[in-house]
Amino acid sequence: MAETKYIGKTIPSKEGARHATGRGLYTDDFTLPGMLHAVILRSPHAHARILKVDPQAAREPPGVFTVVTPEEIEKKTHPFKPGRYAAGLKKAIPEYAGAIGKVRYVGEPVAALAARTRGAAEDALELISVEYEPLPAVVDTAEAMRPTAPLLFEELGSNLAWKGSLHYGDVAAAFNQADKVVREHLKIHRYSSTPLEPFACIASFDAASKKLTVWVNAQVPEVIYDALREALGLEDVRVIIPDIGGGFGQKIHLIRKYVVLISLLAIESGRPVKWTEDRSEHMMAAGHSCAQEFDVEAAVKNDGTVLGLKFKEIDDVGGSISTLTIHFTNKLNNLSNTYRTKNIFLEGCSVVTNKCPVIPNRGIGKPGMCFIWERMMDRIAQELDLSPIEVRSINLVQPEEMPYTTPSGNIYDSGDYPALLKRALEKIGYEKLKAEQRREREQGRLLGIGVVIGVEPGGRNAARDMAIFPEMKESPGSGGVNGATIKIEKNGTVTLFLGSPNCGQSHETTTAQVAADILGVDPEHISTSTPFDSDLAPWGVAAANSGNNFHLYDIGAVHGAASRLREKILTLAAHVLNAKSEELAINAGVVQATGSPLKKISFAELGKIAYGNQALMPKGFEAGLQATFYYTFPHGEPNLVPGPEGLVRAQFTFSAGAHVAVVEVDKETGKVHVLRYLIVGDNGAVINPQVVNGQIYGSAAHGISVALGEGFVYNSDGQLLTLTLTDYGKSSTMETPRIEVEHRPSPSPFTTLGQKAAGEGAAIPSPAAIASAVEDALRPLGVRVRELPLSPEAVWKLMQEAVR
Amino acid sequence: MIPASFEYYSPTTLKEALDFLSSREDVKILAGGQSLVPLMKLRLAKPRTIVDLSRIPDLNYIREQGSRIVLGSMTTYEQIETSALLQAKCPLLPQTAAVVGDVQVRNQGTIGGSLAHADPAGDMPAAILTLAAEMKAIGPNGERWIRAEDFFVGLLTSALEPDEILTEVRVPALNGAKTAYLKAAQRAAGFAVVGVAVCLRLDQNGSCNNLAIGVTGVGDKVYRAEAVEKILLGKRLDANFIEQAAREVTRGVDVIEDINGSKEYRSHLAGVYTVRAVKAAMQA
Repeated sequence: MAETKYIGKTIPSKEGARHATGRGLYTDDFTLPGMLHAVILRSPHAHARILKVDPQAAREPPGVFTVVTPEEIEKKTHPFKPGRYAAGLKKAIPEYAGAIGKVRYVGEPVAALAARTRGAAEDALELISVEYEPLPAVVDTAEAMRPTAPLLFEELGSNLAWKGSLHYGDVAAAFNQADKVVREHLKIHRYSSTPLEPFACIASFDAASKKLTVWVNAQVPEVIYDALREALGLEDVRVIIPDIGGGFGQKIHLIRKYVVLISLLAIESGRPVKWTEDRSEHMMAAGHSCAQEFDVEAAVKNDGTVLGLKFKEIDDVGGSISTLTIHFTNKLNNLSNTYRTKNIFLEGCSVVTNKCPVIPNRGIGKPGMCFIWERMMDRIAQELDLSPIEVRSINLVQPEEMPYTTPSGNIYDSGDYPALLKRALEKIGYEKLKAEQRREREQGRLLGIGVVIGVEPGGRNAARDMAIFPEMKESPGSGGVNGATIKIEKNGTVTLFLGSPNCGQSHETTTAQVAADILGVDPEHISTSTPFDSDLAPWGVAAANSGNNFHLYDIGAVHGAASRLREKILTLAAHVLNAKSEELAINAGVVQATGSPLKKISFAELGKIAYGNQALMPKGFEAGLQATFYYTFPHGEPNLVPGPEGLVRAQFTFSAGAHVAVVEVDKETGKVHVLRYLIVGDNGAVINPQVVNGQIYGSAAHGISVALGEGFVYNSDGQLLTLTLTDYGKSSTMETPRIEVEHRPSPSPFTTLGQKAAGEGAAIPSPAAIASAVEDALRPLGVRVRELPLSPEAVWKLMQEAVR
Repeated sequence: MIPASFEYYSPTTLKEALDFLSSREDVKILAGGQSLVPLMKLRLAKPRTIVDLSRIPDLNYIREQGSRIVLGSMTTYEQIETSALLQAKCPLLPQTAAVVGDVQVRNQGTIGGSLAHADPAGDMPAAILTLAAEMKAIGPNGERWIRAEDFFVGLLTSALEPDEILTEVRVPALNGAKTAYLKAAQRAAGFAVVGVAVCLRLDQNGSCNNLAIGVTGVGDKVYRAEAVEKILLGKRLDANFIEQAAREVTRGVDVIEDINGSKEYRSHLAGVYTVRAVKAAMQA
C-alpha cells in the first residue's frame, strides 16, 4: 500500500474507554423478559458411579421452574461428535453435556436447574439428592497406566487412552553420528489463564420457529454452533458473542457443555435462562492446561550442533477424551523451535486421570515444546562445557535460509534469529551482567541470567491433526477461512463487521487502522459492529479467537473487503466527478481528483447517491457501498494437507522472540525475584505497537507467573485444593516485573501487510526463560532445573538436595 | 456465589447487639466481613443471623489512656496503619496493619474482626500476642478482660463466648521498645505463610532485656516463641546467636502443612523470618 497514515502507529484504543469505564456489555449484563437463572450441580467426587439422582425436593420450592438430571440429559440430548482431538480413540466414547452413569472429576456437571432468581436456584440446588458410589481416584499418570489401576473409561480397557508417534528425517542415523547423547527428564504442571470473566451464557428458544438464540462469551462461534446443533438436534441456531472478559483459550472448548445444558433448561422451561459461572466452578471444571512430562534425548556434536532430537511425552489429560491429543499435536506447531535440527522423533501418550479435562491455553503444547528445546540447549552447553549462547547460535536457522522448511513441513516465512539473540544480549548488557554475577557470587548472592529464544506460530491450519491421524474419518478441513464486511453508510460513516468475536485484544482498533488507510478515512470515523452475531457476521472456520488467527484471517479479510470497497468508491466518484479513477485520491473521507481542486466529493455525498439516487450511478453499478471479503491464506501450499510423510504446515506465520530473564534467588527462602525481563521480538510488520506490546506484556506476565508458582494442585483423592484465586496463586501486577520490549520486525512475505502473530508469543518462551535463569543462579550449587513451577518451596528443596 | 438466606440486623447500640446475640439462633457478628463474607458466598458458612456492628458509633477509636493505648474493636486496618499516635507509641500495630491483605481489605477489615476470627495465619493476632494486649468482651453478665495469651484458643477459635462481643483492645505504650513484623507472604493474597512479630528492648550494653516474639501461619493458632525468647533474653544479640536461637522457633509446635508450604519448609521459614524480624526490630 502506498501510504500508511495509521498502520504502524499507536493510536488510542477504540474499545479501551468502553472497557475501562465499565461501559462494556458482557453476557451477564443482558436481561431478557421473564428470564430465569440457572445453576449447575457438580460432582463432589473425583471418581464415582452415579447410582441415583432424585430431583423431587428441588422441584418444590416456589420459583423453581426446571431441573434436568443425567437421565433427562441422556434422553433429550445427543452426545457431541468426537472432534479431531479424539480421532485417535480405539473406540468412540459418547460424551454428553453432563455426566452420564459416572463422574470422572471434581466439578463435573451432573444436573442443572433454573429458578426465578439466582439465590433461589442456589438454595434449590442443595435439595437435589444424588447417591454416588465412590470409586478410587486416579490422579497420577504413572499410577493410571498400571495394569491394575481403576479405569476411567471401562470400554477403553486402559487409562492410556492414546499412544502415537511421528518421525521426521533419519533419527537413528543422527544418533549414530553423534559425539554425545544428552538426556533429560522434564515436567510442566497444570495451570490456566483464569480470565477475569468466567463462563456465561443466556439461552432463549422460540418454540414456534424452533430457533435457538444464545448469548455466550465463547471464543470460537463454530464450537458453540456445532455443539448446539449436534446435541439438541436443532437446525436454526444463532450465536451472539458480546464483549468477552478474557479468553486465552479457556473459552473455546468446555464452555459448549454449559451452553447445551442452559439451552436445554430454556427449551424445557419455555423461558430464557441465564447462567454465570462462579470463580470456583471455573477453577474446578472450566479446563486446565495439560501437565506434561518429557523424556528427551538429543544427539549432539562436540561443537554443540544438535543432529537429532527424540522425546516421549506423557500428557495428563484429565477426565475427558475430547481433547486427548491437543497438547501433543500442538507440538507440531513449533517442533523445531528456531533450530535447524533435521531429525526429530516424538511419541505421545495421553493418559486419562480423575482431574479436570485439559483445554487450549495460551499456546497449548507450544510452551512445552519450547521448554524442551531451551532446557536441552542449557543442558547441552553444560555437558559440552560450552556457553549456552554458543550452543543456541550454532543451531539457529539463518536469515538467508528464509523461507525455511522445517523437517515436519512448517515453512518459516521470515526472521533473523541470530540478530534477535544478539540484540537481546547487547541490550541487557550480557557480558557486564556475567561479570557482576561472578562478583556477587563471591558475596553469596545468587544471581542468574536466562537467555532463551522461541518461535510463535500464527494462523491455524485445520488439516494439521491429519498428520497424526491419517485415518481420520471426517475431514477436519484445511487452512482457514474468515470474512469481513465494510460498509459506508448513507451519512458517510464507515461500519466494519468483523468475522470473529473479540476477547479484549483491541481488534476494533487494529482493524480500523487497516481499513482507515485503505479507505482514506480517520479510524475515529470507523465503527465496529458489536456484538458478534452469527446471523450477520461474515464468519468462517477461522472465526476463532484462538490459534493466533486474528492477524492472518481477520486482517486479511478486512484488507480484502476495504480494498474492494475502495474500488467501488472510486468507480462511483469517477463517474460523478467525470474523472478517471486512476487520478483520484481519498483523504479524510473525501475523494479528490489530483490537479483539479474543484473535482471532489465526500463519502456522505457518495452515500446519498449510492443509497438513493439511481440517476447519478454509472451504468451497471451495484447500488450501495458495501463489500465483503472472505480470506484464505494465499500461500497455503505446499504442505497444506499432510501427505504420507506427515509433512504439514501446522501454522502459517512465525513470529519469534529472544527473552532474557535476570533473577536473584533468596538463598534462605528459595524465593525468586525477577530483576529484569527483556524481550526482543519479531512480530512482523506491527500495525499498532501499543496493542502488540499489550499482548506481549500480558502473555509474558502469565508465563513468568506460571514458572514461579501459579497452578492447580490436587490431593491424592483427586480433590482440587486450589479452588479460589487466592489458593491458585497467580501473580498480580505487584509481583510482575517490568517487561522491556524491543521490536525487530521481519515482515512476513506471505501476509497482506507483512504482519505476524502476537497473541500468545511471550507465554511460549517465558517459562523456559525463568527456568534457565533460576538454574543459572543456582549453578554454584550444581542444581538442575527440570520441572515447573519454581515456587519458593520448590527452589528451596532444589537447594537442599544439592547441598546434601 | 450467593450466600444461603439469613436474617440481617444492624443495631445502633451495643445493648441492642447483645440482645440479638442472646435471643437469636446461630448468630455471626459482621465486623468488616473480609473473612466471613467470602465463606458465606462459598456457602462454607451458613449463619442464620448476622449482626452487623458497623452502625454502633462508639466502637471505632484509637485513644491514649495513661500508659496504654485503647482501640475500639471496629477500628479498621487503615486507621491503625495511619494513626500518628500508634506510630509514635506502639509502632508494631501500624507495621502489621500495613501488610494485611490489600487496600480494599485494609479499608474494610477491623482489628476486632481479625482477632475474633482467630485465623491461624492472621497478621494482627501475632502483633497482639507479642504486645501482651488485653481484649475487652461484653456479654449479658457485664464485661471482662481477656489476656492475649488466653484469647487465641485454637483453629478459628477465640476465648469469646457466643453471647459476647469484643469491644476494645488495650495495648501498652511502648516508650521506645523496638518492633517489627515480617512475613513470607503467599503470592496471590499476601497472607502469612509464616509471619513473625517482634518487640524488644536493648540496654545500654546492647543486651536484650525485654523480648516477645509472636508467630503466625505456623501452628493451628498464633503462639509466642518462648524457647527463642528464653535463649536470647539477657544476651547480646549478635547474628550467629540469633540464628542459633531461631532454630527453636517451632519447638513443641505441631507445624501445619498445606499447598503453601510443607511442615519442613514452614519450619525452616519460621526460623528464617524469626532471624529477619529480630534483626529488623533491632534496626528499627
